[in-house]
Amino acid sequence: MTLPSPMRIREMVRKEFRQLFRDPRTRAVIFVAPVIQLLMFGYAVNTDIRSTATFLIDHDRTLESRELVDAFRATGYFEVVKRSERPLDLVRALDHGDALVGIEIPKGFARDLAAGGTSIQLILDGAESNSATVAQGYAQRIVQRFALERARQRGALPSGGIELRTRAWYNPNLESRVYNVPAVVGVIIMLMCLLLTSLAVVREREFGTLDQLVVSPLTHQELMLSKTLPVAVVGVIDLTAIALIAVFWFDIPIRGFPPTLFLAALLYILSGLAVGLLISTISRTQQEAFMSMFLFLQPAIILSGFFYPIESMPTVFRWVTLLNPVRHFLEIIRAVFLKGEGLATLWPQYVALAVIAVAVLRLAVARFPKSIAA
Amino acid sequence: MPDAVSVRSLTRTFGDFVAVDRVSFDVAEGEIFGFLGPNGAGKTTTIKMLTGLLRPTDGQAIVAGHDVAREVAVVKRNLGYMSQQFSLYADLTVEENIRLFGGLYGVTGARLTARRDWILEMAGLSHHRTRVTGELSLGWKQRLALGCAVLHEPPILFLDEPTSGVDPVSRRNFWDLIYEFAEAGTTVFVSTHYMEEAEYCHRLALMNRARLIALDRPDRLREAVQEPLLELRTDNRARAVEALREHPVVLEAAMFGQAVHLLVRDRDRAMDEVPRVLRSAGLACEALEMIPPSLEDVFVALVRREGGAPVG
Amino acid sequence: MSLTRLLAISRKELLQLRRDARSLYLAFILPLVLLVLFGYAISFDIRSIRMAVLDQSRTPESRELIESFAGSGYFSVVEHLETPAEADRALGSSAVRLVLIVPPTFAADLASGRGAVVQALLDGADANSATIAQNYAEAIVSGYSTRAVARGRRVTLPVTAESRVWYNETLESRNMIVPGLIAVIMSIIAAMLTALTIAREWERGTMEQLAATPVHRLEIVIGKLVPYVAIGLFDVALALLVGVVLFGVPFRGNLLLLGLLSLLFLIGSLGLGIFISAAVKSQVLATQVAMLATFLPALLLSGFIFTLATMPIVLQGLSYVVSARYYVAVTKGILLKGVGASVLWEDALAMVVFAVAGLAMAIGVFRKELA
Repeated sequence: MTLPSPMRIREMVRKEFRQLFRDPRTRAVIFVAPVIQLLMFGYAVNTDIRSTATFLIDHDRTLESRELVDAFRATGYFEVVKRSERPLDLVRALDHGDALVGIEIPKGFARDLAAGGTSIQLILDGAESNSATVAQGYAQRIVQRFALERARQRGALPSGGIELRTRAWYNPNLESRVYNVPAVVGVIIMLMCLLLTSLAVVREREFGTLDQLVVSPLTHQELMLSKTLPVAVVGVIDLTAIALIAVFWFDIPIRGFPPTLFLAALLYILSGLAVGLLISTISRTQQEAFMSMFLFLQPAIILSGFFYPIESMPTVFRWVTLLNPVRHFLEIIRAVFLKGEGLATLWPQYVALAVIAVAVLRLAVARFPKSIAA
Repeated sequence: MPDAVSVRSLTRTFGDFVAVDRVSFDVAEGEIFGFLGPNGAGKTTTIKMLTGLLRPTDGQAIVAGHDVAREVAVVKRNLGYMSQQFSLYADLTVEENIRLFGGLYGVTGARLTARRDWILEMAGLSHHRTRVTGELSLGWKQRLALGCAVLHEPPILFLDEPTSGVDPVSRRNFWDLIYEFAEAGTTVFVSTHYMEEAEYCHRLALMNRARLIALDRPDRLREAVQEPLLELRTDNRARAVEALREHPVVLEAAMFGQAVHLLVRDRDRAMDEVPRVLRSAGLACEALEMIPPSLEDVFVALVRREGGAPVG
Repeated sequence: MSLTRLLAISRKELLQLRRDARSLYLAFILPLVLLVLFGYAISFDIRSIRMAVLDQSRTPESRELIESFAGSGYFSVVEHLETPAEADRALGSSAVRLVLIVPPTFAADLASGRGAVVQALLDGADANSATIAQNYAEAIVSGYSTRAVARGRRVTLPVTAESRVWYNETLESRNMIVPGLIAVIMSIIAAMLTALTIAREWERGTMEQLAATPVHRLEIVIGKLVPYVAIGLFDVALALLVGVVLFGVPFRGNLLLLGLLSLLFLIGSLGLGIFISAAVKSQVLATQVAMLATFLPALLLSGFIFTLATMPIVLQGLSYVVSARYYVAVTKGILLKGVGASVLWEDALAMVVFAVAGLAMAIGVFRKELA
């Protein structure tokens, strides 16, 4: 095997950079699109329950019923957006999606409360099952606390009992953004690597310039190296840029040692480049490359633990996620950002990323010459 | 009889760049009208304006009796167009491409069957009708593209450098087809940069740097070069050109194939002076004779008269 | 407009699609893959949350409290810790999501009536799961507390909340996801397939050849729309079939209305896809722009999974110009809520506007090049 020639690689890399940066629209794709995506995801991927639109039907209209409603409002989780006496209005509000929760307080609520037995109705829009689940939990807690307090006041319950004090580590206010933004960074980097690598090769094939390169003294290794090197550089730049936005714009704490993250990013980018190269070996046209990329990326994101916890998946799918580089990188980036962990606890993820990167790269390298001859 | 194409001060600019500058000409029906000039002279831009693909910045173009700017739909029905690059669908088969353009030009039913068979026959693709077009050789592709361009038997055919990249034999066959169309009454508007192809045209328009610099029959264009043209054979052409270029009797010296062509002010003086200049430069003068100008010589002479070098 | 020319374009488009294995895969297999992944693989339903216990009390009472966590079905106790310092490692390595600390004085405090305090440390990184775990833990502790202080007496609380969940009684994520997923799949079809369709013709020079024929831009746009609309409607039917038959997602509304509104949505999205493709004229750029302009908004700003009401006001405003927002309201409305035109007319109207705008943009973009 001949050693790669630095001169040839230098010229090729120079050409690749020129092609990447010449077109202002491509430049925008490389540097502006990731920022837009980060902003969109950062704000939109939000599962916090705050000020849930609540529809109130208070048939009782007493001091007690108002106290209960105040207990709901005081938490900040519920916001009464409409009130009415007619149950039909509640139906309409939920049908239209104007309210997510309905609270119905029956007539005689205050009297029955004093007598020791009443109940209120909680109506939830199950079409938003996630929000409904969380809202239901909050509502039950609020009513329970209200009931316990009343019972104690009446002496129906001895004093004492157990108080649960919860403290959320890493994210004291339980903001979903803190968890999601680092993950978005990971997904965007994968997207860039796949797109740029696979299209860089396939575009040359489509335009016929690949043949020209193949008849030159350039070896396959040099060709692959020069196609991936610029993308890796762009990947690292993009990662740094959007990680900075995550820290300074979204106020995501970075508690870990940044070089740990860079090491993981290098392995991750390498695995992205490898998948991109592999896609380029099975695609003749840009269109095919793009479709293949999309077909890989969709399941990879769903099975990464990005929005959906991996532990809630059936066993088979949990096993599949082990093959997914996105999963491992998200675990690393989240742990480094939020928990300040390092290689000591995260080494299994680093090993997994390295194994995936090397395996896919070997496959791509084995297929590459054949795909050029074809 | 009305002209097939009539152009008045047609102009197209792209920003500051003038691609076509106030070009005017007429093309008679049934004529093979050649458009000659180096790359970038404005040939393709002119053809795109005549076929309704590009709007003129200024001026007027009448094709098949209709103003292209105002009745582009009618104009398009009356013309066939074949572009520089092969631009049929590479992922459709030969037959599917024919059927597509049949549908687009409103050729259907029995007429489509007849035309399809004619195209397959003409292009020699009868045995390859179900092959995907992208797999065919360039010569076949070009004949298929020509077939699709004349599928609806248009009175005017626009061919933009139809033979670029094709081998000489295919090129010859292609021109035989063009003659057939012309004899059948089709007006053929063809651009080329192959000088020998230009000889086949009834009339030639020469373009250089966005401007039309001459328009006439090929023989008349030759006559337009009044200065004598000498052909010189020597042992070192490059040095000969260098030595002769500055001489007062020589207007233009250029390498031409295995020889050097000299455009001179005075034949007799040149026949005396040239061998002497060569001898003093240490070069041999193997032969020196007067020849009739080729179209390329004409082109070079006309550009010189215009006072500039050709682009491209 | 000529029907012959329109059909010639549609036919060509179908033939090209038929030869393009990957587009076919995208059009027909990807929707199934997504349905299966969303239907089977993922869920927000949290069961058996892993937790660790630091029991410094070591009394029957403390064991009973821990037992009620394990017995609830929401938690599984995977670790017993010895020192508070171990909690750090357990949460940091994501081995558990919650650490319950029962202090040494627990039993005595409880017996004395002074009130006992237990501590729950949550891994707050995943805020959503943490919130759910917090709610469960609170309910369990509160239940145990009531029983403990009552000491065998039956205590009835003076007020309880009876929850009724409408439209999706069992609160399964699947029922929420499948209707929204239909909109996302439609957007993928629209963005990915059409983004390339015109740009490819520009890059390969075939658009010029088409432009030289008498074909009208209306014929190109509609001719190209027809096959993709057909694929889109087929996918809606496929998704419904899989969703309703396989996943048991309810279908409570009018099928015809859903079909009609799906058609409107497709026309608008495909029109936008064609516009992008024709405007940028490059496949690489068209796919990027189409992703940003159609697919991402459909995923994020449609209310598919993420509730619009909790987003910043700017994104909420932006969501009004995302046609998927209206379509998700339609699919959820028709499938789960069983509502009809009387409720959905506003969404339908918005979709008519999008369809007209999409078509107008697609046709308008050719003004320069085509008749």
